Amino acid sequence: MAIDQVHDLQQVYRNMLDCMARPGTITSLEQKTGLFEDQLSYNEAIFLCALTVLDAEVTFYIIADTDKGDKLAELISSYTMARVTSIEKADFIIVLQGDIKEEINKALSICKMGDLINPQQSATWIVETAALSNNGGVTIHGPGIKESKQLQTGLWNEFWQTRNSKVKEYPLGIDLIFVDALNQISCVPRTTSVKLTEVG
Amino acid sequence: MQTKPHFAFFDEGSKKEIRRATLKAVAIPGYQVPFASREMPIARGWGTGGLQLTLSLIGKKDVLKVIDQGADESVNAVSIKKLVQYTTGVALTDHTAEANIIQSRHRIPEHPLREDQILVLQVPNPEPLRKVDAREYMTKRMHAEDDYSGAWLILFEQIMKYGKMTTGAAHPVYVNGRYVMAPSPIPRFDNPKMYYSDALILLGAGREKKIYAVPPYTNVESLAFEDYPFSKESFKGKQCKLCGAEEVFLDEIINQETGDRTYQCNDTSYCMERLNSAQEKEVESSYA
Repeated sequence: MAIDQVHDLQQVYRNMLDCMARPGTITSLEQKTGLFEDQLSYNEAIFLCALTVLDAEVTFYIIADTDKGDKLAELISSYTMARVTSIEKADFIIVLQGDIKEEINKALSICKMGDLINPQQSATWIVETAALSNNGGVTIHGPGIKESKQLQTGLWNEFWQTRNSKVKEYPLGIDLIFVDALNQISCVPRTTSVKLTEVG
Repeated sequence: MQTKPHFAFFDEGSKKEIRRATLKAVAIPGYQVPFASREMPIARGWGTGGLQLTLSLIGKKDVLKVIDQGADESVNAVSIKKLVQYTTGVALTDHTAEANIIQSRHRIPEHPLREDQILVLQVPNPEPLRKVDAREYMTKRMHAEDDYSGAWLILFEQIMKYGKMTTGAAHPVYVNGRYVMAPSPIPRFDNPKMYYSDALILLGAGREKKIYAVPPYTNVESLAFEDYPFSKESFKGKQCKLCGAEEVFLDEIINQETGDRTYQCNDTSYCMERLNSAQEKEVESSYA
């Protein structure tokens, strides 16, 4: 089944908006694969999110450990006309799963976080994870969350620590969108306070 | 030859741009995100910001309600509804509970909103500091520096002159303890409805090219002083002459000839729902 640029992406956007407004909420996107089946070596939701928000006006950067990052970059560029740029300048940073801990930590500390006059000029991260759930993981609270929530992303502690120091000077910071293999998405914007609960 | 309009009026590129700005607005509650407000078939300043938000949100399954100063049938609401329906074919409703996107001008409905609903507010003047400085560059700086002394001073001057805060509408609010925001020209009566709201609230100013948002469960506090606390408009002892509702926002209607004052619900669909349910009960009891 092909992706309908108008109606399918509208659905994806509403899911993203819902998740961004209610951090930690997990919603699932409709499975659309078929068209890209043989090419996809990453979660389809990554591609759907990219199609929804990227166009010629914005730039992106992909962090991946194999050449699948380059393939995805080419695919996204050809579909959306968005340009690949350096980590420091990218409006969107897309992270694929892989052995890339160090690169991610480095990217977290050097990516755009806006300035006080224009805090919106910051990077939005779209991060591929194995499985999202509300059992265990980090404890989050803040705007959009009634009391507090648990969010399991499978990411390491240092990731959250670096993220926390990145959003210290609110309103500066980065917004995170997580996607998993089941086409589920969940968001953690800069306003969310993240507490580490897991060990290791 | 007349071609069919594109779904939701906009080209997909325009929607993407509005959507990106909206996501950022939600992530930075109360901060006015600039966006490239598109030319619309209605005049700027007449709800184009709200309309652009609605068009960027809406899908085939959505049910839309549009109100103007609490009324479903006034000109602004009807023309916006017609445009959206013509370009999308979505269902329209007057009932607040049935809608999942509610675009509103100057009111938050009386019926409490739910988690699955989105409230879109039309904003004529998004900048609460515009009276303090006419230059956008300066007001943006004040927001950046968390310098809201001007906003406080406006209220202080009102108290000095009139003995109370005299904001008729758009009483400024603190969002998430950081940004001072104009809640659109809603009466003070509606300000507390933004505090820990269940629904997501999006605000769009088309002429001023700004989108901002209040996510659900967010601290929204009206600006007030310890000795001059914030107060809503009071309708104590008054009730709607049609449905008898109390504790709602009432319109005052003055009879030109006799000079008599009567009051009526400002939210027309709320009033109508109450009248209908009262009538149903009456019919049920008379048959029993």
